[in-house]
Amino acid sequence: MNWTEILEFSRGPFFNVALFIFVAGMMYRLVRILLLGWSRDRVPGKGSKLWGSIRSFLKGILILPFIPWVKNTFTKNPITYLAGGIFHLGLFAVIFLGTPHMLVWKSLLGFGWPTLPVPIIDFLAAAAIVAMFALLINRHIHPVMKRITALGDYLNWLLVFLPMVSGYMMTHHLFFRYEVLYSLHMISVNILLIWIPLSRISHFMFYFFSRAIHGAQFGKRAVTP
Amino acid sequence: MKSKQAMDTFVQETGGWVAAQLEACTRCGLCAEACHFYEATGNPDYAPVWKMELLRRAYEQRFTFSGKWKQALGIEKGVTEEDLTEWSRLVYEACTVCNKCAMVCPMGIQIGPLIHEVRSAMAAAGVVPDDLMKATQNQLQVGSPLGVSDDMFEERLEWITDEWEVDIPIDKKGADTLVVFTSIELMKFPTNFAAIATIMNKAGENWTISSKGREVVNFGFFEGSHEHTVLFLKRVFDAAKELEVKRIVISECGHAYDAFRWTAANLMDVPVDIEITHILAVIAGFIRQGKIKLRNEAHKNGTISFHDACKIQRRGGLINEPREILKILAGDSFKELTPNREQAMCCGGGGGVISIKEADPLRFAAFGLKVEQMKKAGTQSVCMTCSNCRLQFSEGVAHYQLDVKVRGLSEMVADALV
Amino acid sequence: MVNKTIYEELRSAGYSRRDFMKLCSMVAGAMSLGGVPLFAKSVSVSPEKELTKTVAKALQSNFRVPIIWLEFQDCAGCSEALTRSQSPTLVDLVLNKISIEYHETLSAAAGFQLEANKEHIMEAYAGKYVLVVEGSIPTAEDGLHCTIGGRSALDILHEAAASAGAIIATGNCATFGGIPKAKPNPTAAKGVWEIIKDKAVLNIPGCPAIPEVFTGILSHYLVFGTLPALDSLNRPKTFYGHTIHDRCLRRPFYDAGKFANSFDDFGARNGWCLYKLGCKGPTTYNSCATIKWEAGLSFPIQSGHPCLGCSQPGFWDGGGFYQGQSAPLDRPTATAVGAAAVAGAAIGAGVALNNRGQKRRVQSTENKRAE
Repeated sequence: MNWTEILEFSRGPFFNVALFIFVAGMMYRLVRILLLGWSRDRVPGKGSKLWGSIRSFLKGILILPFIPWVKNTFTKNPITYLAGGIFHLGLFAVIFLGTPHMLVWKSLLGFGWPTLPVPIIDFLAAAAIVAMFALLINRHIHPVMKRITALGDYLNWLLVFLPMVSGYMMTHHLFFRYEVLYSLHMISVNILLIWIPLSRISHFMFYFFSRAIHGAQFGKRAVTP
Repeated sequence: MKSKQAMDTFVQETGGWVAAQLEACTRCGLCAEACHFYEATGNPDYAPVWKMELLRRAYEQRFTFSGKWKQALGIEKGVTEEDLTEWSRLVYEACTVCNKCAMVCPMGIQIGPLIHEVRSAMAAAGVVPDDLMKATQNQLQVGSPLGVSDDMFEERLEWITDEWEVDIPIDKKGADTLVVFTSIELMKFPTNFAAIATIMNKAGENWTISSKGREVVNFGFFEGSHEHTVLFLKRVFDAAKELEVKRIVISECGHAYDAFRWTAANLMDVPVDIEITHILAVIAGFIRQGKIKLRNEAHKNGTISFHDACKIQRRGGLINEPREILKILAGDSFKELTPNREQAMCCGGGGGVISIKEADPLRFAAFGLKVEQMKKAGTQSVCMTCSNCRLQFSEGVAHYQLDVKVRGLSEMVADALV
Repeated sequence: MVNKTIYEELRSAGYSRRDFMKLCSMVAGAMSLGGVPLFAKSVSVSPEKELTKTVAKALQSNFRVPIIWLEFQDCAGCSEALTRSQSPTLVDLVLNKISIEYHETLSAAAGFQLEANKEHIMEAYAGKYVLVVEGSIPTAEDGLHCTIGGRSALDILHEAAASAGAIIATGNCATFGGIPKAKPNPTAAKGVWEIIKDKAVLNIPGCPAIPEVFTGILSHYLVFGTLPALDSLNRPKTFYGHTIHDRCLRRPFYDAGKFANSFDDFGARNGWCLYKLGCKGPTTYNSCATIKWEAGLSFPIQSGHPCLGCSQPGFWDGGGFYQGQSAPLDRPTATAVGAAAVAGAAIGAGVALNNRGQKRRVQSTENKRAE
């Protein structure tokens, strides 16, 4: 078995299987929640729940990530806010605005889009990796984090970290030959794809539920947080 | 079989609404920083996400594969009686269900209501702090958590009408408005009765109180018991229906506003043609409509700040009203606390905490944060629209030996009537 | 024909000793791209000069090595490339004048006559001749998809490989199966090293293989009598040790993120990186970016076309020539993904309904208790 064969396998059949499991798993999680029973809200609202939800989404995507200090708890927990924010920013930038990944989307969806210059993506990727370390350390030493963290949380960190660092190494041709790094990257990505529906990393899907509920709760009371 | 009862309640209470939010939690721990109990003590057990841990565990172990495996493999334990005892203390004594945590959660999870679900399970399992249960029993048997009986109520009311020479109609059938007071006001802040009565009369409102629906406090709500909550709500609704009123006005009470206005319809059949509102909204309405007029700058006791009550402002939406009123009453003497409005910090006494003796050190520790706020703002007087907060503030200010006057807003309005 | 040494052959063809030394230094130059042992024990002599001397000595003393060149499922492109090679001195002398005893395309003779010659060479020079294979070998149905003179390619290969001194597979077809192996691979085409397992097979992949690479390898064998150091795909590290990406003249554009988005757009006309047009440079090992083609004239990327990855196994099935190198191979169809989604949803529905059943059961127990 040589690395070229491993690469072909991890880009081909292994990726296919991982993608299937990812799609099936996420649908499973989604339907499991949707069909659990939602009771009708019979309380008459003062304000609009719909607008509350929309507002909540917009604020969550357009405002809070960029000026997190509007939350007055920011000063008490800057590491989580900043590192968490930088991690997500880097992640989204690399996955959606980075040229190599855009080409992956293009092959899956049929269309591509303009991307950011490589040096910028590279910087954001490096920043995201540094942020990951900060988050890991924080999770280990902050008293609240120690209280609520279980093994699964460390596993989540690891399985997200490996694709990031292998991708970075790949781009910079660090330490190993390219097909070795590419294989490692693909293997770690496939494992992550399989793990997402089995773990809390799927929070990106439930974000829409919780944010909508949040907005509706406050919109109902005509409060604009 | 306490744990079974608790688990059954967890299962029952968990629908899509609860489950979606439990799935959304990423264990980021940011909610801790919003909780005044954690902030005051640094105890990680008071992190909101930890308080609802039993709900999460129950959900995962009953409804998901991963939870079932973790339990089967011994990675996670089931919910035991020891757990119930420990968490009972956390959710009843170290939480006021103020829901500030929900404001901070990046996912927007409504942690307050979820902790309320944990209380439901505790109530079903009968693992509720004795003091709180005693108050609930009082309300069940005598009609008030403070143990105010019908006779005591009548007596007290007579004294108030005499002392303040104010007209308080009782059981007036066909009135427009039914005002329901708290026994805290009756016993500790009787001026509220007088003040609100004066305002209603001055505004020419066709109003009444009820001798049957005389308690707006709902200890079933604090307990988390569906049965008791509905029972206490029903007493007021029945009285309202009997008196054929068009609206129910909650006097200065926070959780009652939450229970009646924002929760009741989902727990029971409520009369559809009866509006539910809070005295703060009513007073603000009177002022806007010109039904009452206030003396400008009537307040003369130095810098005055407003304490936003969790259930009336953050969870009730009546945020601008007090500021409109205080603008007239205090003008430039008004100074906001920081944070304020929907981001305001809880007084530390709500959610039934004030009724539990064991929780006294905790609630005074939490009140320390309010003391810091007031010191920073240079507050000399503080007013609010919730009697529970007022009780906490009164006791807290004494505990910290602060030279700050604690006032109710309705009182201040009544004093400034032209 | 094989009685003279290479040097004697050259002299009798009219080349001076000077010409001969020039040839030797060219051969040495071709080999000194790495992977060749240096003999610089004596400090006074430079390594390059040492190597040239070694080459000269070898060519003067070694007899010509006969080459049997077999073509199977091929297009003869690798041979064509060699004959079109712009370094006639090197190639011409090493191949045409010196060595090839059997070549379907190039030999003047044909038919039974040529076959007879091959038999003779295989017998007379058993253990010494070099077997060069071009084209893939079909193995489906006992190999009947390629027959020469009534015998299957498989048979011919086994026979020729048995007594060969060295086996060289040239071109992607002979090394990794090439175009015949592309999906659906109806002939079950295989490369030489997938069939000959008991002897070392040196792979010189490419479509075609770079001529100078081929002659460089042959020179190595002529001089040292051994095959050079090989990588895990049996390719000589000298020429296949680096990716196109690592030696590409457009690499700075890749690093800066300046990509051509379509052929003949602004980026393309300004020589920007062709990564987005499907260049497989990063995973392709070959010397195109250094030795280039047509005596260093150009290579695909330099001329504006993305690298196809033609020296890698399975490049025809590598996702498409114009699909990004980062994209997955063989992505699943929309129906397959849809099926997975439906399956997941079905299981989710099942679990949700079971959970609701739990809730109902709890509710009814409670109702019973209340009664």
